[in-house]
Amino acid sequence: MSIVTVQLGQCGNQIGFEVFDALLSDSHSSQGLCCKRENEAYQASCKERFFSEEENGVPIARAVLVDMEPKVINQTLSKAAQSGRWKYGQHACFCQKQGSGNNWAYGYSVHGPRHEESIMNLIRKEVEKCDSVSGFFIIMSMAGGTGSGIGAFVTQNLQDQYSNSLKMNQIIWPYGTGEVIVQNYNSILTLSHLYRSSDALLVHENDAVHKICAKLMNIKQISFSDINQVLAHQLGSVFQPTYSAESSFHYRRNPLGDLMEHLVPHPEFKMLSIRNVPHMSENSLAYSTFTWAGLLKHLRQMLISNAKMEEGIDWHVRPPLSGPPSLSKMSLNKDLHFNTSIANLVILRGKDVQSADVGKKFRAYIHQYTKFGIEEEDFLDSFTSLEQVVASYCNL
Amino acid sequence: MRRRRVDPAAGARAGALPEAIAALSRSLPSGPRPEIFRRAKFDRPEATSALWQLLFRVLSPLPAGNALASIALEVQARLVKSALCSQGYPRLALAQLPEDGSQGSRELLLALSWLLARGPVPEQMLAQTRVPLGDEMTVCQCEALASLVPPAPHMEAEGPVDVRHVQWLMGKLRFRWRQLVSSQQEQCALLSKLLRTLERESRRLEAVLAWRRAEPVFWQWMDTVLGTCAPEAPAAASQPTFLPWVPECGDGELELVVRELQTLEEELREAVERRRVAWEAKARGCGRGPEWSAARRASRETVEKELGALQRCWEQESGPAPAHGPHRLVRREDGAAGDRDLRAAELIRTLRSQEACLEAVLRQLQGQCRQELARLAGALPGLIWILPPGR
Repeated sequence: MSIVTVQLGQCGNQIGFEVFDALLSDSHSSQGLCCKRENEAYQASCKERFFSEEENGVPIARAVLVDMEPKVINQTLSKAAQSGRWKYGQHACFCQKQGSGNNWAYGYSVHGPRHEESIMNLIRKEVEKCDSVSGFFIIMSMAGGTGSGIGAFVTQNLQDQYSNSLKMNQIIWPYGTGEVIVQNYNSILTLSHLYRSSDALLVHENDAVHKICAKLMNIKQISFSDINQVLAHQLGSVFQPTYSAESSFHYRRNPLGDLMEHLVPHPEFKMLSIRNVPHMSENSLAYSTFTWAGLLKHLRQMLISNAKMEEGIDWHVRPPLSGPPSLSKMSLNKDLHFNTSIANLVILRGKDVQSADVGKKFRAYIHQYTKFGIEEEDFLDSFTSLEQVVASYCNL
Repeated sequence: MRRRRVDPAAGARAGALPEAIAALSRSLPSGPRPEIFRRAKFDRPEATSALWQLLFRVLSPLPAGNALASIALEVQARLVKSALCSQGYPRLALAQLPEDGSQGSRELLLALSWLLARGPVPEQMLAQTRVPLGDEMTVCQCEALASLVPPAPHMEAEGPVDVRHVQWLMGKLRFRWRQLVSSQQEQCALLSKLLRTLERESRRLEAVLAWRRAEPVFWQWMDTVLGTCAPEAPAAASQPTFLPWVPECGDGELELVVRELQTLEEELREAVERRRVAWEAKARGCGRGPEWSAARRASRETVEKELGALQRCWEQESGPAPAHGPHRLVRREDGAAGDRDLRAAELIRTLRSQEACLEAVLRQLQGQCRQELARLAGALPGLIWILPPGR
């Protein structure tokens, strides 16, 4: 079954490109240890999920690209086409001429409804190309203007039109020392809207990924492309085909369904995060050896201490609370992945909510939102729903 | 090559020949255009590569796929030559043809018609590329599987029931439901694809029927093609046709194999005994209490039953072996059945009994679920159950 990806905004489009690239190069990697038939089954399964086949054999990503400015979309399209191994569909993108100035309300209340039909048409065409749709994977940032506002709107529309399909939103948590001043407000609005309309929210924190790049991968000048590649690596590990527990003769067909059934069945707990070991630059790969036991031990340590990397773990931790059971899945890649819905984000969430409340500058910026229809009540609604989420997680 | 006797009146109509050749090319997979056949009669070089590829497709033992298309022409030609040789093709000239597809189309045409005369090639090709319609079923008449008892339900310890656990289960159920909906949608899409493939296959079937009707015309024409060839040198008989070599195995080897199997059986028996002793020692150490011994008794009985059934299966000498494996649905007018065939009525009876077994198991499991739900509901007096709409 196939996954349709919706890439929103600058963030979403750049990450989406890296994800598809990583998936395809992994499935065609020559470093595997399996027999040819195994490799072909793996490739076929991966391709069916994320790419559709064209006449001359170049796979086309099952993706819809949306942005308000043409620059990033054009870059993404050309990068994909240049690689020669895959590309985006020619008519799978939607963009306008002007940006939305990092204004969430503008994206949600103006851009969204105005372009609703075109965007949903594009999505519908992708869906029709698939034999069967496992669900939607929406990549967006949380605190930007275009990605967040339109993303919230599009997810809501998907909920209305495709209520039976599964949706996973991948959202990027901005740097703590933010680039955008109003990012806290944007984040709150995005999160509360997405919590209502999406099935699972997979959160990646820019800070954490930045640290991984710096410490583990020894990259000196960290660019967004490096960060995105690490992200794509993590995401790809989750989405590549896996065996089923009962029979190891074929790959499981419904990746989103499997993930969601095991991780987010409870309607109140939808936040997910990924921890991935090992992370290292390609150069050190030749000098490292791994054992399953060692990798698993690292993962457990990371999980217990709420750390995002396997180095520099801070051991002042509370004993773990008991919560709903979480299951781990074995994948055929070298990496083992541990998805948890335990609220490591509770701490961050609490911080955000409080700081936005306390900030006196709140009044100063709110006029940007009220101009486009987001009133104070909407903010209050968002605060309350998020505080409920925080409370549920605290009660775990 | 002896000439095939045909009814001279059969192909008297003008235009019958192009129809016959057109039917032939439609009935073969990736068949060349009828023009190719005509050019081949006059040994034109442009018809050669198409005929090499057609012969390769007919003679290759592998099922068709993208892998076949990418094989180079020289390799295909070599494979065709060796395949024809091993089947006893008498004409020397084919073996001496260059493999780059530059000449020899008339020889290839003769080879093709030799193959067509030997066996039902279009029908064989059709059977190879048959669309799997789901008219197959796997039959397993082994007694062991029919006597499966569902495992005893896992009773949780009585304790405070968490509402969140129930919500969690409901969420899982909801996701399963949505997955069911999307797989049903997938089924619809695939059914329409299947219909299109079936249409293509029926067109080929019609082509094969038309070919069979028009065949005599083709053979008359092939006679003329043979006539335009130079007569073969009489040294053809001296070239041995080599057949694939089957190694002879003598009795001595069979004795060796039997002895090896016996030693293996001894080793396995010893290993089983050692494991059983170790496991029993371990099992005796853990688990007491009435429920544990009851569960152990139940599982022991099940295992004994299954083992007995398996042994009976293996030791059954008399009577036909119980049918096992995939069977295809075939309609027969004459009612005669081969010894591997099963009658539909028997199968229906078997399936009905299996259905009854499974339904009983389903009812039992549903009853257990209901009891569990009632227990959960009773444990939370303030809880209201609201059923989802529409069901």
